[in-house]
Amino acid sequence: MSDDKHDLHSPAPMVDEVSEFEVLELAVRELAIEKGLFTKEDHNRWTEYMHTLGPAPAARLVAKAWLDPEFKKLAVNDGVKASLDVGIDWINSMPTNFGTPSDYCNLRVLEDTPKLKHVVVCTLCSCYPRPILGQSPEWYRTPNYRRRIVRWPRQVLAEFGLQLPEDIEVRVEDSNQKSRFIVLPVRPEGTEGWSEDQLAEIVTRDCLIGVAVPKPSVTANRKRPVRRAVNPYHH
Amino acid sequence: MAETNPDYVALDKEMSGKNLDNSPIELLERIRRKGRTWKDLSAEYGVDNPDPPWRINLESTCDNLAYGHNGPLNICRPVDQREEPSNKKVDAVERRWEEDQLTNELYTDVPFPERQLLALAHTMIRRGLFGERELAVQLKKVSDRLNMVDGIYQEEQISNTETG
Repeated sequence: MSDDKHDLHSPAPMVDEVSEFEVLELAVRELAIEKGLFTKEDHNRWTEYMHTLGPAPAARLVAKAWLDPEFKKLAVNDGVKASLDVGIDWINSMPTNFGTPSDYCNLRVLEDTPKLKHVVVCTLCSCYPRPILGQSPEWYRTPNYRRRIVRWPRQVLAEFGLQLPEDIEVRVEDSNQKSRFIVLPVRPEGTEGWSEDQLAEIVTRDCLIGVAVPKPSVTANRKRPVRRAVNPYHH
Repeated sequence: MAETNPDYVALDKEMSGKNLDNSPIELLERIRRKGRTWKDLSAEYGVDNPDPPWRINLESTCDNLAYGHNGPLNICRPVDQREEPSNKKVDAVERRWEEDQLTNELYTDVPFPERQLLALAHTMIRRGLFGERELAVQLKKVSDRLNMVDGIYQEEQISNTETG
């Protein structure tokens, strides 16, 4: 077998050692179970469910809304109902099939326009629409982002590479225990005639949070260094 | 929207009054100093996945520790089967506040999600949910089980751990 063929059939690289942090994660979990703080079965069920989550359904929802004006109306007026069309049932699809925590029930889809840009934050902690968007990125959890985006949204968006003209209003939506948000961005020029699959590919997680806008050539999130917040919230 | 979330101000005031003990915990300090982070491991082994394989387990632990109606499965149960809120649980918003403080003051140089994990262990020890020595013993058990023969949780390390 030539080297080229060998490379094609080589297994994906994997980390071949156990880290102290991996040991710590397991030890903390097992002690919590031993102390009766939760059961192993509950942990397994929730973990299995969490492994199914990611940003693909939210990207699909946006792509469908771009192609279908009626679906867009539904999405903006009733995000929970519109989510059913992309396979996310906020009410009945949780691991017990018996409803869902109240803080997962209200998804709102924020429609951008050429003169209005939405961006999402959780200033209290790091609430995030996980059922339709998966796990939050590191920067979304940081006090740096949470404190600054509400005060200097244009500056923070510019740090993400999104320079907005002054005539575009920026609206920051603060997530809370009752409401979670995703952004429905403006469909970019240059995507005329694209299929739903093609459109969904350019709706990245960052576009759905609102710190980026879709571009025909961009299908990945921009890497962003994470910095400490230097001032307390009241400064 | 208001520039400062009044709920955060109230939370900050309440939590600041609790005087969280942010002093270092020796056992966790050893892990912080010697533990290999996913950032290093993934670079060394050429792995693309940005998150370690245990990240979702950690998130699940945090969710399952959530107090009362924030517990993800608790609220899903029929009303008569739900657990009552317990003081032993760790409220999600309080945990995140504590994680922010610990990240800012103690685990600043630790990458994510390792610092989330250290902060959770720190919070649980300081709340008395388990002791430092208990955790040391459990680390040894897990380490042995995973065949980590040269780990840092050997008998002499446990015997040097006084509290718990």
